[in-house]
Amino acid sequence: MSYRHGGYRRRYRDDYDDRRREVVETPEEKLKTAIIKFGEVDAQEELPRLEKQIREHQPLNIPNISEAFRISVTEQPYKIPFYTALLRNLYNTPDPAQSDAPVLGRLILEDFWKGFQGYLDKVAWRETRLCIQFFAHLTVAGLISPESMTSLLQSFVAVLDEFGVSHGRAKKAGLSAGEGLFIAGSVLKAHSPSSVNDMITAIHTYSESTTNAKWLVALNSRVLDSLLTALNTLNEGDFSGITDCLPQPYLRDGAADLEIAKYDLPSVLVPPEIIEVEGITSETGSEAQIKKEEWPEYYFRVFTSEVSPDPNTPAGYIIRSALIDTIDIFEINRKECARLLLEYPKWNLPGTFKPKPGSTVEHEPFPGKDWQLESTPGRQTIIGAYLVLPEPSQKSIYYISLITELCKLSPSTIGPAVGKSIRKLYACLSESLDVEVARRFAEWFAVHMSNFGFQWVWKEWVPDLSLAVQHPKRAFIRRVVEFEIRLAYHDRILKTLPPQMQDPEGFVIPEQAPGPAFEYEDPSHPHHEAAQSVLNLFRGRANAEDVIAQLDTLKSQLEGSDDGHTNLDSLVRSIAVQSLLNIGSRSFSHLLNGLERYLALLRNLASSGVSSAGGYGNTEAKNDILTAAASFWKHNRQMVGIVFDKLMQYQIVDPTDVIGWTFLNGSFVGQLREIEKPLNLSAFEWDLLRAALDKANGRVVIARRKIATLRKEDDDARAKAKASQEMEVDGDAKPADEQHEVENPALETALKASESLVREQKAALSRTLEGFISCLAPSAGGLNPNPHSRGVIGEEAWQNRDAWGRDDWNAWETWGWYRQFVRAVSYAPYLRKYTNTLETVSFARFEGVNDPAADLMKKVWHIATGQE
Amino acid sequence: MAHVVTPLDQPSNYKDSQARVDRSRQAELLSKSTTLYIGNLSFYTTEEQIYEMFSKCANTEDGGGIKRVIMGLDRNTRTPCGFCFVEYYTHAEALACMRFVSGTKLDERIIRCDLDLGYKEGRQFGRGKSGGQVRDEHRQDYDPGRGGWGAQAQRNEIERRREVEERYADAQDGPGAVAGGGGDWKDQGGAQTENKLKRGRSPDDEGENGRLGQRTRMEDDMDNNRM
Repeated sequence: MSYRHGGYRRRYRDDYDDRRREVVETPEEKLKTAIIKFGEVDAQEELPRLEKQIREHQPLNIPNISEAFRISVTEQPYKIPFYTALLRNLYNTPDPAQSDAPVLGRLILEDFWKGFQGYLDKVAWRETRLCIQFFAHLTVAGLISPESMTSLLQSFVAVLDEFGVSHGRAKKAGLSAGEGLFIAGSVLKAHSPSSVNDMITAIHTYSESTTNAKWLVALNSRVLDSLLTALNTLNEGDFSGITDCLPQPYLRDGAADLEIAKYDLPSVLVPPEIIEVEGITSETGSEAQIKKEEWPEYYFRVFTSEVSPDPNTPAGYIIRSALIDTIDIFEINRKECARLLLEYPKWNLPGTFKPKPGSTVEHEPFPGKDWQLESTPGRQTIIGAYLVLPEPSQKSIYYISLITELCKLSPSTIGPAVGKSIRKLYACLSESLDVEVARRFAEWFAVHMSNFGFQWVWKEWVPDLSLAVQHPKRAFIRRVVEFEIRLAYHDRILKTLPPQMQDPEGFVIPEQAPGPAFEYEDPSHPHHEAAQSVLNLFRGRANAEDVIAQLDTLKSQLEGSDDGHTNLDSLVRSIAVQSLLNIGSRSFSHLLNGLERYLALLRNLASSGVSSAGGYGNTEAKNDILTAAASFWKHNRQMVGIVFDKLMQYQIVDPTDVIGWTFLNGSFVGQLREIEKPLNLSAFEWDLLRAALDKANGRVVIARRKIATLRKEDDDARAKAKASQEMEVDGDAKPADEQHEVENPALETALKASESLVREQKAALSRTLEGFISCLAPSAGGLNPNPHSRGVIGEEAWQNRDAWGRDDWNAWETWGWYRQFVRAVSYAPYLRKYTNTLETVSFARFEGVNDPAADLMKKVWHIATGQE
Repeated sequence: MAHVVTPLDQPSNYKDSQARVDRSRQAELLSKSTTLYIGNLSFYTTEEQIYEMFSKCANTEDGGGIKRVIMGLDRNTRTPCGFCFVEYYTHAEALACMRFVSGTKLDERIIRCDLDLGYKEGRQFGRGKSGGQVRDEHRQDYDPGRGGWGAQAQRNEIERRREVEERYADAQDGPGAVAGGGGDWKDQGGAQTENKLKRGRSPDDEGENGRLGQRTRMEDDMDNNRM
């Protein structure tokens, strides 16, 4: 970060403002910091020293100490066993003379419990779960009674039996209980074998009941299943295996001998999820805030258990869980997160990971372990977390940047590991890797390469150029190259490719930089002159009226010239839009300036024929505008996305228009442009769809927030008015009701706006579903039906994929995007909400029809909307 | 969540040295800011490259997205001089850039992001004596991405340089020189007939309603980010 401290900065003395000064810590804060930083050098060494420091601190402030423990446990889960040891030591009574004084450790634990109760009340799942891990260790250390620990875990298991429990809630409750069992199983089972077995069975039963989701997601592992498998393994050996997976420093000094009253955890009920209501009521036509995490998460395992731990084994599960928590917690600082991930081995048992090359520490590999650290954090876990379906818990770019930081910290080990994982994932592309996973893979690859000089050995993939052009591997190569060009520039990326890939016949990279394609540029074009006249008006910054007048003139001229053009309106729209985009083609800002200057013209174009001032929004006209834009930027898909986004933003077109257009025309944009090809949806079209759906949903979100704020302002104003009335003791005040009737006009407007937006959202979703039907289960008379949409479903067809051509792969990919559409956390809740309407409109036509494609579409739909 | 490490999305010591608001007001603005200052860009980096990188922090499904990109230009030559502003619709998006993009590479340079008080007319131009950024006046090293020592052109960058030189030749200053990027969705149902043929106003000129919406959104984002 040296650039931040470049010499030029020193000139500005006052840049160093208050934030820069050393903050003076109070003694209380110092103690807290000492507790939080416990073990950073050597936990075993520091333990007696820290214990002494806590004991000797005056005045005694239990809440301060227990807060430090709470922060430590919930933000540094890898250290939980060591905090258990610390608390265990604070139970000792060093001075026998004070043996009747309350035990310090006990006071801390009691106060800690209040914090746990707080997390539980807020339904803060991660904090709750990590506290349970702590309690489980404390149970093993003999500080907590096994019966109270068992009933705590049972309260969480009970959540799985709640009526209509969501996958997200069940998963989190199941993990909380399961991890508690995992850690404290040895003690709990000795106490009551049946309750331990019952809880495992309950989790198992729940997990079994959710296997339907495999229709939506085809990845290989589920978090809860891994935990179950690991738990079962441990349970078979009565949890004696735990000593091989976790450090238990608190047992070193013979904790079992401790003669103390064990703490009984109070009993709890797991409160229901907080559904954010934010003024959302039925009167706005909207419902509760969309609930995320409705799906069991599936993650992707890249490596074999020789180099990285199998998360289905007890030791592997613990490592994965600790690393995933670290990744989630330290999202606020990816650099620190990378450092902590690399330091993780020191918190696990010695011998778990291979030492760093060149390390002088004597290394005794643990039988069956001896994993490579870089395979775990560098690849397996982060990549696994990033590729979770349906959606990772953090933004994609976080995982990407985190891997970059790891590579920077340890280039010699993580670098090659990343290369291996890329090859492994690439190989999976032919083995039905989910289309959404492939999309994220391409995104990561491009950004990663952009951070490391675009150095990739492309040569090794040259033989794959013989595959069908739409084969997932070739599609991947094309996407990555396109994304790299967007982050850099054409010539830079061209240079990195081997000659076979530079060759335009390879369909990897276009010959030219992706510039604009102004259709009327060529002087020999029949409408060149006409376009020039419009272009010149734009260049001269003419008024919108003058341009519209010119377009009218143009249209009547064209009518007279009788060149056989069937749709003059379309032609004039195309000339106008392409000329405007040509003016704005220099940069994104130029585009915005052009659009903003001629908004009136664009609205005029979108609303009707060029001259008549009809109603707003003519679908055909809007379609023409989108076609003109896509055709102008046909070599540059990024710009197509940007122009569409801003056309929606400026409300020239609606999201539904973009969706409708995409299904009909999307595949004509770009390098593989071919007219009259069967309908299909590849990753680029999906990006357009997603942007439109997100826009429609985002507007609803904004509208709801606006309503919530206005309602709150209203309520506050009323409360204030009421309060001031009550102050006026003289009976002169008006009755309170009278004021209530005055509706806030802003609120009324907001409610109306929300209604329109919800309608538009519904239309967008419906249009999407319709589009998928026309691609996947086309009726006999449909437009360009893809004959392969039915041929690529089923195991038999898949086994025959070596013979698939381009249309087969297209159809296969379209099926993948359909699945992503119905399962994506951003859409699934809305789909559930509108499911009746959508089904009636779209699936009614399949009534009594014997069509495997229609059946599969319905099946996937029903599972996604929770009907199956 | 900030007890163990310092979050990366805290405002740094970056500031607009010409801003005329007091410190507490600045802190308040930054705590809602949707604008980022991006520094250490190559002179050749385009808005589209910036858009591609920064769209990775956009939350369209939450009402966000990239509102506009304002390229920093040399006052005299009207060519990019190594900085820009990226404006989002929501504060959360700006914070995400601080956490995930600042300190990573774009166009093979490590770029830095800082929360900004918001674009004001005139800020698109460099403030150095020569027209570029002040930091390039004092720079002692050779930096091919930022014009070498001075005017030395990079042979292998000639083509990009030509494009860059032409691109903003038409850059204007004064009010309205920079587009707004589009505001919140507005009901157009009734307004259609009075669809006046005048230049669309930027959302910043909107009346009370527009501003209220903006404020609301920011507050909500704040809530979303509270941990």
